[in-house]
Amino acid sequence: MPFRQTDPWPSDTRSAGGWLRDHRRVGGESFYFVSARLGTSLLVWLVVGIALALPAGLWIIQVNMAEVSAGWEGRPGLSVYFDLDATQAEIDDTAAMVGQQGSITQVEVTTQDEALAEFKVYSGLGDSLSLLGENPLPASMRALLTPGVVTAELDRLAAQIGKREGVAEVVVEKTWLERLNDLSAVVRRLGLMLGVLFGIGAILVTASSVRLAIEARLEELRVLKLVGATSGQIRRPFLYFGALYGFGGGVIAAMLIALTLLILEPPLTSLLGSYQRELNLSGFDPLFLLWLLAAGSLLGVIGSMVAVRQRLSRLEVL
Amino acid sequence: MGHVEFKRVTRRFDNGHEALKEVSTEFPEGSMTFLTGHSGAGKSTFLKLLLAADSPTRGSILVNGVDLKGISKRGLARYRRNLGVVFQDHHLLAQRTVYDNVAIPLRVIGMREKDVERRVRAALTGVELIGKEGLYPRHLSTGEQQRVGIARAVVNRPKILLADEPTGNLDPELSRHIMYRFARFNQMGTTVIVASHDVGLIEEMGSRTLCLEQGRIVAEIPARQEGNQAEEHPVAV
Repeated sequence: MPFRQTDPWPSDTRSAGGWLRDHRRVGGESFYFVSARLGTSLLVWLVVGIALALPAGLWIIQVNMAEVSAGWEGRPGLSVYFDLDATQAEIDDTAAMVGQQGSITQVEVTTQDEALAEFKVYSGLGDSLSLLGENPLPASMRALLTPGVVTAELDRLAAQIGKREGVAEVVVEKTWLERLNDLSAVVRRLGLMLGVLFGIGAILVTASSVRLAIEARLEELRVLKLVGATSGQIRRPFLYFGALYGFGGGVIAAMLIALTLLILEPPLTSLLGSYQRELNLSGFDPLFLLWLLAAGSLLGVIGSMVAVRQRLSRLEVL
Repeated sequence: MGHVEFKRVTRRFDNGHEALKEVSTEFPEGSMTFLTGHSGAGKSTFLKLLLAADSPTRGSILVNGVDLKGISKRGLARYRRNLGVVFQDHHLLAQRTVYDNVAIPLRVIGMREKDVERRVRAALTGVELIGKEGLYPRHLSTGEQQRVGIARAVVNRPKILLADEPTGNLDPELSRHIMYRFARFNQMGTTVIVASHDVGLIEEMGSRTLCLEQGRIVAEIPARQEGNQAEEHPVAV
């Protein structure tokens, strides 16, 4: 097959140095463009910053909630109180049945006499309780759940135990820690949802700002196309705008989160102090900041690509 | 080199109007040609097709034997880097200085800033605008703005120079000056195609002339042999 020439002047190629020079020049011009319109740029940075700060802030909260719960000894479980006339055999059968459950790690039975003895110690009433004649305290059993057991399983087991002979009452103990874990899961999912929604918001805000920048420079773009700029060269300044808007948004988001943490620190320190815990805020570290800035820049670039695709595909030379 | 050939080119618009009808002609490398005719004769469409800003409905336009229809996007950008285009209304960027306007084609090809400066200064010297590189287009007269447009068109040493009514807004003396400047570029090997309805000036230049009427070439006047237009009216380039 004969060679078919598809370019009137095929030898005209650009060097890598030229490509780098173009990037450096366009980067500088874009920085100037964004900083010369500081009012508009600040508005875009604020909107993108708020959009990033909400999900990122929720992520910080979730990380800290997880850390608080990870260092805590308490675990959810259930307490079984037996009838006063329950036989030892009934108590032993129930304890054996509960102990065989895979979700239970430990079963501890407290007889009526042991309960009375403990009460004497803790109440400080001592021998005066002997005057009662008979022991008013029931035998009881405490079962601890293996970590990670879901609440629904705990409720099912409680219902099963409640039907047994000699059992007076079953109390399911959900510790505040478990509630904290549930809340943490809610926060995580909320953060994800907000991340997606506000991410889309940040993209749209950047896209709309970049679109305005494109409209303001249409004549220049036509001239660039006329003198032989490639599509990449025509797109380039706007991708830089998007990246700068997103990066600036990331900086604002970091500042907002830092400010929020600063405001929340005193009451959180007081709250955790009442549980003999110290406040060690984690998550807000250099890696997090790097992610925040990278995410902002990426969203900005995506936004500008949306605008560029919409507007520049129809650009005519004249 | 810049050899252009139109082969039975027709451009029909959506409303049915045919701006060009079965036009066939050639522009040899290093030639200078005027396109003339009344408004609506098809001169601007002719140049738009050459610029690849539009494409023919039928027929083909070959540049150095390559059909413009078959050029890729990247090839099209390379093609345009070898064209110089001058418009009646200049198309200068109001927010850029004279220097930056002229430098655009050089920066697009990634030229070093030191070389850009040298070439821009040479081009501005050629159109007698040196010293005004820091001004904005609004500070210049119409004639000066047109000369900035010419400097931008030639700064990259194009192989083909297209001009669409380049003297439309200018007084006769300045018009002559600009036409002779084009003739000088042509003498340096650039293929020059100028659309103009200034019949007197075209006759004075004595270059090959194609007369368009209702989208057809109705007459072709060959170039006058005697004299050298550029030397008759010397200008600095």
